[in-house]
Amino acid sequence: MNPEPFENLRLELRRGSVVLAVLAALRREQYGYTLRKTLSDLGLEIDEGTLYPLLRRLESQGLLSSQWREEDKRRKRFYLLSADGARVLEQLLAEWRSIDRSLEEVLKEQSHGND
Amino acid sequence: MEMIERYLEAVKFWLPKRQKDDIIEEISADIDSQIEEREAGLGRELSEAEIESILQHCGDPMKVANRYLPQEQLIGPLLFPIYRFVLKIMFLCCLLPTWLSSIWTIVYDHVYRAQQIHTSWLAAFASAWSVWLTTAFVTAGMVTLGFAVVERIQQKSHFLDEWSPRKLPPVRNPNQIQRSTSIFELAFALLFFVWWAFIASAQTIHLGNSIRVELSSQWVWFFWGYLALAAANVVLSSANLLHPYWNLRRASLRLLSDFAGAAIFCLLLRAHVVTGFFAASLTNDQSLQVIHVLDSWMDKAFPWSIVVSLVIVAVGVYRVVRVKPQGASTA
Repeated sequence: MNPEPFENLRLELRRGSVVLAVLAALRREQYGYTLRKTLSDLGLEIDEGTLYPLLRRLESQGLLSSQWREEDKRRKRFYLLSADGARVLEQLLAEWRSIDRSLEEVLKEQSHGND
Repeated sequence: MEMIERYLEAVKFWLPKRQKDDIIEEISADIDSQIEEREAGLGRELSEAEIESILQHCGDPMKVANRYLPQEQLIGPLLFPIYRFVLKIMFLCCLLPTWLSSIWTIVYDHVYRAQQIHTSWLAAFASAWSVWLTTAFVTAGMVTLGFAVVERIQQKSHFLDEWSPRKLPPVRNPNQIQRSTSIFELAFALLFFVWWAFIASAQTIHLGNSIRVELSSQWVWFFWGYLALAAANVVLSSANLLHPYWNLRRASLRLLSDFAGAAIFCLLLRAHVVTGFFAASLTNDQSLQVIHVLDSWMDKAFPWSIVVSLVIVAVGVYRVVRVKPQGASTA
């Protein structure tokens, strides 16, 4: 099998879920590097080139707030989910669960059809 | 570390002006955290090669910076297929005929060759090529500019999003012949037949009272050729009016008639049939000059007529190939 279509589709599939994961993870205040580590430890690898522009985009949309602070003698930018972000996260999670249920149903029907 | 500074400087160059320092500080903090963690794990300072590997993983500076920039495009995905289609049309209808005509002129036009080609064929083609290339770039540039403007308007007004299924064009049968087209063709063929029979039957044509044009003996072939073609077109247009769908027989007849018409016209341009041009106000020398000018214009028009003829024949061939026997009614 040609790996390229799979890789493209995999990235496409992950793109939306990464936003959801980032918003969910930022219910607790974190800076970029620890956020990346948290997600990576949970099996969701995001490279820095994707994460930092995404954080800025979400902040410009009012879904995150950020502030520069010193920690361990180094300045770091900490991000936290805003009130608007929490509302949007709830809506997105409801949507995610609905998609998940529908997909499960489709897969169930498919497997019944194959039996 | 100099390598990190160089990397950050390279990223900074492409970043949006207002956010440059802020973004660079964040990327720098991330790289520092990565190095710190690796050093803690290894219990020693990282080597230059290891730092290089971290930076390599961060990505190409221009790509990294590009992700912070707003997504912009000159022509978006909505307009791009139309843009490509228009470019193809421009190429086929404007540039290709110009190029073919220029090649013909270089190869066959003795006057042009005498005036323009002082050195060699290669120099002549090189000179023509620069003109063609300029024409191609200007044409493509104008089309691109036009579409870029439409794209900007579309982004602001979203005028292309306002559509309705009711406004879509009706499904068209490619073999259908519009009645209005048949009526127009029939009227034109009839008028031409009558006009040609009255005006062009003799070898001497009178234009008003004061102008007389003498034609060579070859003219009789052109006269009967066009008269026969006009008669055939009257019959064909009448048949098309009664049976408004192309079938193989009528499409082939139209191809034959178009090919014959185009061929006769091309031959007419090369035949130099005007042997005398007499007008009350012209001297003999001036009359000869008029004939010379006419012949010269016909020679110049010849390559264009070849190109147009090829297009006409190509359209006719396409029509024959396209005819679907099951969708066509028989005449």
